[in-house]
Amino acid sequence: MNFFRGVMGGQAAGPQPSGAETIQKLCDRVASSTLLEDRRDAVRALKSLSKKYRMEVGTQAMEHLINILQTDRSDSEILGYALDTLYNLICNDEEEEQDESEDEAMQKQSDDLGAQFTEQFIQDPEHITLILSLLEEFDFHVRWPGVKLLTALLKNQGVQVQGIILVSPMGVSRLMDLLADSREVIRNDGLLLLQQLTKSNAAIQKIVAFESAFERLLDIITEEGSSDGGIVVEDCLLLLLNLLKNNSSNQNFFKEGSYIQRMKPWFEVGDDNSGWSAQKVTNLHLMLQLVRVMVSPVNSPGASASCQKSMYQCGLLQQLCTILMATGVPADILTETINTVSEVIRGSQVNQDYFASVNAPSNPPRPAIVVLLMSMVNERQPFVLRCAVLYCFQCFLYKNQKGQGEIVATLLPSTIDANSISAGQLLCGGLFSADSLSNWCASVALAHALQDNLTQKEQLLRVQLATSLGKPPVSLLQQCTNILSQGSKVQTRVGLLMLLCTWINNCPIAVTHFLHNQENVPFLTAQISENLGEDERLVQGLCALLLGICIFYNDNSLENYTKDKLKQLIEKRIGKENFVEKLGFITKHELYSRAAQKPQPVFLSPEQMLFDHEFTKLVKELEGVITKAVHKSSEDEKKEEDVKKTLEQHDNIVMQYKDLIREQDAQIQELKEQVATMTSQSEQMQTTVTQQLSQIQQHKDQYNIIKLKLGKDSQSQANSQADSQVNGLQTEELSQLREDLEELRQQHTLLQTQLSDKDALINTLRSETAEGSAASDNTEMLKELDALRSQVHSQATEIDQMKTERQELLRKAEAVSSEAVSSSDGSLDAAKMAEVESRLAAQTSETERLKEESKSLSKSRVDLDQQLAAATSTAAILQTEKAQLQTEVQESKKEQDDLLMLLADQDQKIHSLKLKLKALGEPVDDEDDLDARDQTDDDEEDDDEDED
Amino acid sequence: MAYAYLFKYIIIGDTGVGKSCLLLQFTDKRFQPVHDLTIGVEFGARMITIDGKQIKLQIWDTAGQESFRSITRSYYRGAAGALLVYDITRRDTFNHLTTWLEDARQHSNSNMVIMLIGNKSDLESRREVKKEEGEAFAREHGLIFMETSAKTASNVEEAFINTAKEIYEKIQEGVFDINNEANGIKIGPQHPTTNSTLSGNQGGQQAGGGCC
Ligand SMILES: Nc1nc2c(ncn2[C@@H]2O[C@H](COP(=O)(O)OP(=O)(O)O)[C@@H](O)[C@H]2O)c(=O)[nH]1
Ligand SMILES: [Mg+2]
Repeated sequence: MNFFRGVMGGQAAGPQPSGAETIQKLCDRVASSTLLEDRRDAVRALKSLSKKYRMEVGTQAMEHLINILQTDRSDSEILGYALDTLYNLICNDEEEEQDESEDEAMQKQSDDLGAQFTEQFIQDPEHITLILSLLEEFDFHVRWPGVKLLTALLKNQGVQVQGIILVSPMGVSRLMDLLADSREVIRNDGLLLLQQLTKSNAAIQKIVAFESAFERLLDIITEEGSSDGGIVVEDCLLLLLNLLKNNSSNQNFFKEGSYIQRMKPWFEVGDDNSGWSAQKVTNLHLMLQLVRVMVSPVNSPGASASCQKSMYQCGLLQQLCTILMATGVPADILTETINTVSEVIRGSQVNQDYFASVNAPSNPPRPAIVVLLMSMVNERQPFVLRCAVLYCFQCFLYKNQKGQGEIVATLLPSTIDANSISAGQLLCGGLFSADSLSNWCASVALAHALQDNLTQKEQLLRVQLATSLGKPPVSLLQQCTNILSQGSKVQTRVGLLMLLCTWINNCPIAVTHFLHNQENVPFLTAQISENLGEDERLVQGLCALLLGICIFYNDNSLENYTKDKLKQLIEKRIGKENFVEKLGFITKHELYSRAAQKPQPVFLSPEQMLFDHEFTKLVKELEGVITKAVHKSSEDEKKEEDVKKTLEQHDNIVMQYKDLIREQDAQIQELKEQVATMTSQSEQMQTTVTQQLSQIQQHKDQYNIIKLKLGKDSQSQANSQADSQVNGLQTEELSQLREDLEELRQQHTLLQTQLSDKDALINTLRSETAEGSAASDNTEMLKELDALRSQVHSQATEIDQMKTERQELLRKAEAVSSEAVSSSDGSLDAAKMAEVESRLAAQTSETERLKEESKSLSKSRVDLDQQLAAATSTAAILQTEKAQLQTEVQESKKEQDDLLMLLADQDQKIHSLKLKLKALGEPVDDEDDLDARDQTDDDEEDDDEDED
Repeated sequence: MAYAYLFKYIIIGDTGVGKSCLLLQFTDKRFQPVHDLTIGVEFGARMITIDGKQIKLQIWDTAGQESFRSITRSYYRGAAGALLVYDITRRDTFNHLTTWLEDARQHSNSNMVIMLIGNKSDLESRREVKKEEGEAFAREHGLIFMETSAKTASNVEEAFINTAKEIYEKIQEGVFDINNEANGIKIGPQHPTTNSTLSGNQGGQQAGGGCC
C-alpha cells in the first residue's frame, strides 16, 4: 500500500481537468486495444490514478475494469491490476492512519464514495459471482487482491453481498478454502474476509461451520501458540465468536464436536511469568468470551447445562479457577475470568460444588469464595472487579440450596467459627460498612442466599448481632431496619430494602418478625405518604413493595397488623391510589429495565448500581398481586379463601381415590402371588394324584389277580358271599360320597349368598358413584377420574388374566380327574370310579356355574368400569375369586383325601378278601407287596395243592 | 467420546414431511407434535455402533421451502449420507422426489448414500402413497428405502443406522476416500483398527444424544 501513499500525500485540491481526460483516454485503450500488453499498461495506469482520482476512475472506468475481469481471464497480471484498482475505489479505510489532517467531512466523503461504488458494482449480482470464480485462481496476484476486494465489498454492503454469496453455488464453501491456503497472507486476509462474511448471518455461519471451520480455526490457534500467538490468533478467535454467538445450532455442533475440550489448554497460563503482552491480554479476553458464549444465561438451559458439564469434565473450569487464584494476572483478565467462572457454574450443582471447594493457595488456605468476597467489600478494588465478584457469588447461589445453606450457616450462632474469616462475616461487614457500594453488594449477595429458599429465610431470623459493648444483641433483621431509618445513602437503602423484600417475601414468619417491631410500619407509611424529591422515589416505591408484601404474606398472627388492619392503614394514611402509584415507581425507574435484561450486574458507573436482576423478577411477580390485594375488600378475600378451601377439598378427594387405587394395586399384587403359589400347589397335587392313581392301578391289578384266582378256585356260593360283602362296602362308600356332595352343595349355597351380597354391594357402590359424579362437576376432578378409570381398566385386564389362569387351573384339575376316571375300568372299581366321576362332574358343573356367576359379575364390573366406584367392586370381585380359588384348592385337597380313603378302603377290602380266601383255605400272603410274590406264591400254592 | 468414524448426514425433502421430527426422535428419543418451522439448517448429533465400532453421526436438518433451497445446496458436497424424506399421506411430497434427487445428485459427491424415507407410517388410514410405490422409486434410482414414523419411532433408528452401514461398507470396499474430509467422513482420533480389538463387548447402539 506504500505505493499509493505517495500519490495521495498532501493532496487536498480537487480533480485536475487533465486527470479526467487522461482517465478517459486510458479507458478507451482498455476498451478498444486489441493488444493485451496495451490493455495491461492502461489498467496499470488506471490503478496508479485510482487513489488520487478515485471519483473519476470510479465513474468512468468501473465498467471497463469489470469487462477485463470477464474477458482477460488468462492473464493474471492484468486481472491483478484490475482487482487492485477496484479495491482502491471501493475501500474506505486505507487512509485513516496516514493522514491526520483529514477531517471528518473528508472521511465521510470517502465513505460515501465507497458506498456509491459498491452499490454500482453489486447492482449486477453476477459481478460478485465473478469475483468468487476469480478466487479459484491460484495465482497470488489474482487471489490476494480478490480476497481484499470482496472483504471491502462486504464491509460496505454486508447484507446484500452476503445474500448474493449465499445463493451462488458453493460460494461459501469456496471462501472456506482460503483457510487452507499455504500462503499466510492469503490465509490471514481470508480470515478477515470470513469475519465480514459471517457477521450477523446465521445461515452463512452454519455453512462455514459445516465446512469444518471449527477444526481449522482451532488448529491455526494451536499452531500459532494459542494465547501467545499474534494477531492471527485474535482474528481466528473473532471469527469463532462470530460463528457461535447467538447461534444455538453451531453451539451444539461445537459441543458435539468435542471442541470444548480443545479450549482447555488455552487457559494453562496460571503462574508462569512469561509476561502479559497487550496481544496476549486481547487473545485471552476473546478466549474467555468464547467460553462465555457457550454457557451464556441467554442460551437454552439444556444447552448451557451440557456445556457446563463438559467444561467440568475436561478440566476447563478447574483451569479457570487456577487463573482466578493466581498472582500477577492483569486486572481486566482477572475480572473477565471471574465473569466466565460465574457463567460456567451458574445453576450447575456439580460445578457449584466444585467452586465451593476451591481454595486460594494462601497460608492457611482460604476458600476462594471468601477471598473473592473480600474484594467485593473492599473499596480499593476496581468497580468492575467488585461487580464480577458479586456476579460470581450470585451464580454460585443460583438454584443452589446447598450453597445457600452453607453461606447462611456461617452466620448462625451454633456454627460460627471464630478463628477464620467467613463469608457471613464479610457480608455482615459489608452490610454495615460506611461504603454504600459495599452495603449494596452485601445486601444483594445476602438476598441471593435467600432466593426461593424458605428454610434459609427462617434461619436468618435467628442471627443476632453484637452492636456495641454492654448493649444487648440485636437481630440482623432489626439492624437492617435500623440502618434504613437512619437515612443513609440511597444506594444503601435501596440495597437493604431489596434484601428485606426478598427476605420476607413468601415467608409469613419473617413478615411477623418484621411487623413485630413497632417502629417499622409507621416508618414505611411515613416514607410512602411523604412528598419527596425525585431521587427518593425509588426508595418510596420499595417501601410500598415491602408494605405490600407484609399484607400479602400476612398470616394474621399479630392482632395490630392483620391484613385488614394494614389495608385500612393504607386507605387512611396513604390512600389506595397513592400507594399503587408509589409502588409503580419501581418499574418506571430508568434503570429498571436495563437490570431486567440479563443476570450479570453491569453498570455504567457506581452510582447506577441500584437494581439487581433477580429482584426485578420479584417485582414483576409481586406488583400485580399487591395492587390487587390492596384493592380487594375483605369479603372478596373471604370468597377467595372459600374457593381455595373447596379446591383443597377436591384435592383431598382425588388423593383419597389415589390411595384407594394404590391399595388395590397392592391387593392385586398379593392375589397374583397367591395364584402363583396355588398353581404350584395344584401341580404338586397333580403329581400326588398321578402317583396315587398308579398305586390304585397296582392294587386293582392285584385285586384282579386275586379275583381271577377266586373265580378259578372257589365255589359260586362263596363268590356271591364275597360279592355281597363288596356291595356292602360300596354302599358305605356311596353314602360317604353323598355326604361329600352335600357338603359341597352347602358350600355352593354359601358362595351364592356371598355372591348376592357382593351384588348388593356393587349396587350400592353404583348408586354412590352416581351421587358422587352428580355432586362433583369440577373439570379437574373429571380429569382425575379419567386417569383413575384407565387404571381400573388396566386392573380389569389383570383380573381377566387371573381369570384365564384360574380357568387353566380348573381345566388341569378336570383333566386330572377325568384321567383318573377313565383309567379305572375295573369291574369292581367301576362303580366307585363312576361315583368319583359323577362327583367330579358335579364339581365341574358347580365350577361352571361359579364361572357363570363370575362372568356375570365381571360383566357388571365392566359396566361399572366407567364409574369410579368400580374400583372398589373390582377388589371385591377379586376377593371372591380368591375365595373361589381357595375353595377349589380345598376341593382338590378333599379329592385327594377321598382318593386316600378309597385306597384305604381298597386295602381293607383286599384284606377282607384275603381273609375270606384264607377262610376258604387259600394260603394268602399278608404282605402288601403282593406283586413280586404272586408268582412264587402261586407256585407254592400249586405245590401245596399237589401235595394235598 | 472417541469415535472410529464420523459421518456427516443431511436430511432433505419437502417442508412438513417430518424431517425435524425424525432428527429429534433419533437424537433425543422424543416426538414433538408441534414443531417450529426449521429456519435454514439445524444441527444434531448422536453416537451409534456398527460392527463393534463407535460411529459419530453429525446431522444437518434442512428447511424444505424453496427459498432455502440454495442454502441447503451448500450442504450436499460435504455430506456422506442423505435422508430424502416424503410424507406417505401427501402424494405431492412423493411427486417432488425427482426434483430433490436431481438437486442432490447434482451438488453432492457421487458416492453419497441416499436413503429414501416414507415418513408418518403411523397414519395408515390417511395413506396416499403405497409402500410398493416407494420401493419401486427407490429401486429405479438405486436408493435404500424404508417407511418410518417419527411419532412412534418405528424404523427411525434403522433408517439412520442402515444408512451408516451402507457408508461403512463403501469405506470397507475402498469406494470412499476417507482422507478427504470434504466427503463427509472423518477418521476418529482413535484409529479404527486398534479400536476393533477393544470393541468386542460393545453390543447395542449407544443411546441418547449429548454424549461426549
Ligand atoms: N403422525 C405423524 N406426524 C408426524 C410424523 N412426523 C412428523 N409429524 C408431524 O408433521 C409435522 C411436520 O413435522 P416437521 O418435523 O416439522 O417437518 P419438517 O418440515 O420436514 O421438518 C408436525 O406437525 C409433526 O408433528 C410422524 O411420523 N407421524
Ligand atoms: Mg423442519
